[in-house]
Amino acid sequence: MSDGETAVIQSLAPGPIDGVSYPLKMVYCGQCSMPPEYCDYSGQTDVCRAWATQNAPELLEGLEISDEPAADGDEKKKQKRGGKGSKTGAAAAQAAASGGKKKGGGPQKVTLQREPRGKKSVTVIKGLATFDIDLKVASKLFAQKFACGSSVTGADEIVIQGDVKDDLLDLIPEKWKQVTDEQIDDLGDKKR
Amino acid sequence: MFKKFDEKEDVTGATQLKSSVQKGIRKKLIENFPYLEPHLEEILPKKENFKVIKCKDHIELLADHLGVVRFVKTRNTDYIPTLRTLHKYPFILPHQQVDKGAIKFILNGSSIMCPGLTSPGAKLTPLVPKDSVVAVMAEGKQHALAIGLMSMSSEEIQSVNKGNGIENLHYLNDGLWHLAEKSLN
Repeated sequence: MSDGETAVIQSLAPGPIDGVSYPLKMVYCGQCSMPPEYCDYSGQTDVCRAWATQNAPELLEGLEISDEPAADGDEKKKQKRGGKGSKTGAAAAQAAASGGKKKGGGPQKVTLQREPRGKKSVTVIKGLATFDIDLKVASKLFAQKFACGSSVTGADEIVIQGDVKDDLLDLIPEKWKQVTDEQIDDLGDKKR
Repeated sequence: MFKKFDEKEDVTGATQLKSSVQKGIRKKLIENFPYLEPHLEEILPKKENFKVIKCKDHIELLADHLGVVRFVKTRNTDYIPTLRTLHKYPFILPHQQVDKGAIKFILNGSSIMCPGLTSPGAKLTPLVPKDSVVAVMAEGKQHALAIGLMSMSSEEIQSVNKGNGIENLHYLNDGLWHLAEKSLN
């Protein structure tokens, strides 16, 4: 790099602030490992909040580790930027609320739903985590059993490629004894 | 770039460098990041040897004597700091601020699009040329969430306002972020 370029970099980088001693002391969230101000985007905000309450309560005062990462003003922006599959602010809030219920003292349920994806369809399983089932292990099992793609897409959601709902109704209680037939809900097809 | 980076699969080998090579790297770092000069002794102490960890796709990691990754060299860039290094010394790279709406996309590994850099919540540092390495900050946040490579100059981003503005090299929670939190000794 020539001297000219170095000069450019020097003028563009903000440089150290007077009176601040470096290196800065950084505190990272013990759950998601990110700076606490980004815990909203970790997908496990409640766990992060619990960690912060216990280990670094001073962080909670200055930062908003909230259930909904975006305020009202951001909703429009999110809708505009969101692609095909993104939820609008209201839908996202609703999803967060329903997720919260599951984790609490509400009834434990596994829900199966078929979702259209163009010509093909996928099966969405929710609620396995409430039975302390490792989603990664479950996803791998489904992929092997049904010879198809399976992935963990959310805090408590597995998406399996293809319509395997009927097979799942038999497989889940057989594999995990703690889940009974009555605790599995077939939500049918998701309307587009 | 480091979205699916995995220590077991991507790291091919570590090399203990000769002191002359180490001296050259230190000199290069000071050349690239002039403000880092007073602090380089804290990051890579002269008395200790640091090593280069070679990875797939022409990626090299610079780890200090404790095995903590401090800098990264990619195919298209010279040595750049990891986010953990940048968080401790935030003044070493030019800052580009994106709006709140872009945060979740960046944390998914997406490149930073021009509208996210020109909208009301964003702050675009002027005169930053194409192919410069920049720290990506976010509206209302104190710390950088990514390190990127300018795909266009600041002026082009402002005028074109379409397409990729900054290529996302390294972001919070990617493979390198998790690699840099542990020692590679």
